[in-house]
Amino acid sequence: MTALLETRGVWQRFGGLVANSDVSISVGRGEIVGLIGPNGAGKSTLFNLIAGVLPPTQGSIWFDGEDVTGLPAAARCQRGVGRTFQVVKSFETMTVIDNVIVGALVRNTVMREARRKAHEVLEFTGLAARADVLASDLVPAEKRRLEVARALATEPKLLLLDEVLTGLTPTEAQTGVALVRKVRDAGITVLMVEHVMEIVMPLVDRAIVLDLGKVLVEGKPADVVRDPKVISAYLGDRHAVSA
Amino acid sequence: MDKNFAVRRRRDLIVAAVLAGLAALAPLFIKDVYVQNILILTLMYAALSQSWNILSGYCGQISLGHALYFGIGAYTTELLFTKFGVLPWFGMLAGGVIAAIIAMGLGYPFFRLRGHYFVIATIVIAEIGLLLFQNWEWAGAAMGITIPVRGDSWLKFQFMRSKLPYFYFALALCCLAWFVTWWLEDSKWGFWWRAVKDNPEAAESLGVVVFNSKMGAAAVSAFLVAVGGAFYAQFLAYIDPESVMGFQFSLLMALPAVLGGIGTLWGPVLGAAILIPMTELTRSYIGGSGRGVDLIVYGALIVAISLALPQGLVSLFSRSKAKGATR
Repeated sequence: MTALLETRGVWQRFGGLVANSDVSISVGRGEIVGLIGPNGAGKSTLFNLIAGVLPPTQGSIWFDGEDVTGLPAAARCQRGVGRTFQVVKSFETMTVIDNVIVGALVRNTVMREARRKAHEVLEFTGLAARADVLASDLVPAEKRRLEVARALATEPKLLLLDEVLTGLTPTEAQTGVALVRKVRDAGITVLMVEHVMEIVMPLVDRAIVLDLGKVLVEGKPADVVRDPKVISAYLGDRHAVSA
Repeated sequence: MDKNFAVRRRRDLIVAAVLAGLAALAPLFIKDVYVQNILILTLMYAALSQSWNILSGYCGQISLGHALYFGIGAYTTELLFTKFGVLPWFGMLAGGVIAAIIAMGLGYPFFRLRGHYFVIATIVIAEIGLLLFQNWEWAGAAMGITIPVRGDSWLKFQFMRSKLPYFYFALALCCLAWFVTWWLEDSKWGFWWRAVKDNPEAAESLGVVVFNSKMGAAAVSAFLVAVGGAFYAQFLAYIDPESVMGFQFSLLMALPAVLGGIGTLWGPVLGAAILIPMTELTRSYIGGSGRGVDLIVYGALIVAISLALPQGLVSLFSRSKAKGATR
């Protein structure tokens, strides 16, 4: 079976800056894959390329056996790519349920069905009690969860999570981890960018480390954290030698 | 599930039906032609503002050039009538369709602009339209078109003896614009528009084609405004570029919605019910010498509203409603 998502030799240049250079990764169906790396490694750029916010300078992106390189974000969503944003982008003047209905309308054209789907997703993500609250009145952790709920309402095959666990209290983060597992158990493939190693490593099946726009290492989380190249990327060469 | 929501929707519909019924009875008690005139204008501006609100309130694309569509509705109707003998009813529809097409044609380049740049573009385009009509000989140029009125006729939609038919048409148009908004509010388009207004990038990631959403809103909005323009032309029986395409119309469509509550179902009606009678009364008290005083009044009102109640007057009602909901 082919991979659900594949990037083939993807480059992204912003003027003189190379954000991604020759990135080829693949994500299999049903996996939870972590995309990690130090600040400025090109994780968010790669996410935007996969989600279709901008086309890559070079290379191609394949989703579910189809070349989606030229497709805009909305078309990729229709094909089954859901995403959250690192800086939350709630529809602030709308209620929580209305935020989620926008996502549900991708697959449900009848309003009543979209509304039912949205309620289902709110139950699933634990936001049901906040359904009629304005998105602008949510606390940060809830806003993160709303991002996930909205993306889930589009019934994605692949969910791109951009730092949904960062900046949360330990309890909130644990709830988040449980939610990600639940999402995978519902049959959705997850690709997540994350900073907090101790949270993300036990969660993911596989980790891909980006550094300076390139894939540095790829493998099982336990192996990746011991890899000298990874340690030096994060902490500098001195620590890698002593490890 | 969601009983509250369904109840609120039904309540809106009932309130609207009751208000429309009361308005329909108003001429039984109000015989004064001057007051009837104010009522007609109030209903017309409520309809126009409601239509403006679709593009600028719900979809968030603030237009200060809707006078263009108003003028196109007026001119299409009257040119078709005076030059080709086409009845105003058909002219009205033709004007609406032409305005919708032009709105989409203009949207194609301008919907790539954001925020203030879009607003400026709409003002400039409307001014260009005004200049074109002022210099277009065949369309009467700056002299305008006088509509030949020969007695009362529903067929030709012209009435000399009584203003009541105009009143009922304006009421019907207002109800139509309100109902279209009500219906769109709980539709895919309504949700898409609000999403586009709040955050286009997030909307796009959720499968909303932002550009098409804006185009749809522009077309509906322009169509309804042009029908209003056709009505106004018939009502005046005389049009010239300044009197149907002047900048004041763009303002008078935007202000009621802003005053009442932009992007809300009831805002435009509420705003128009306050603003338009006030404008007409200040105008008649101050007389010819005080041209522009009404503008000072709006200005003051808008400043007061944006400081005290940025969500518009309807927020006075919804605040108490929100409290009830959390209980």
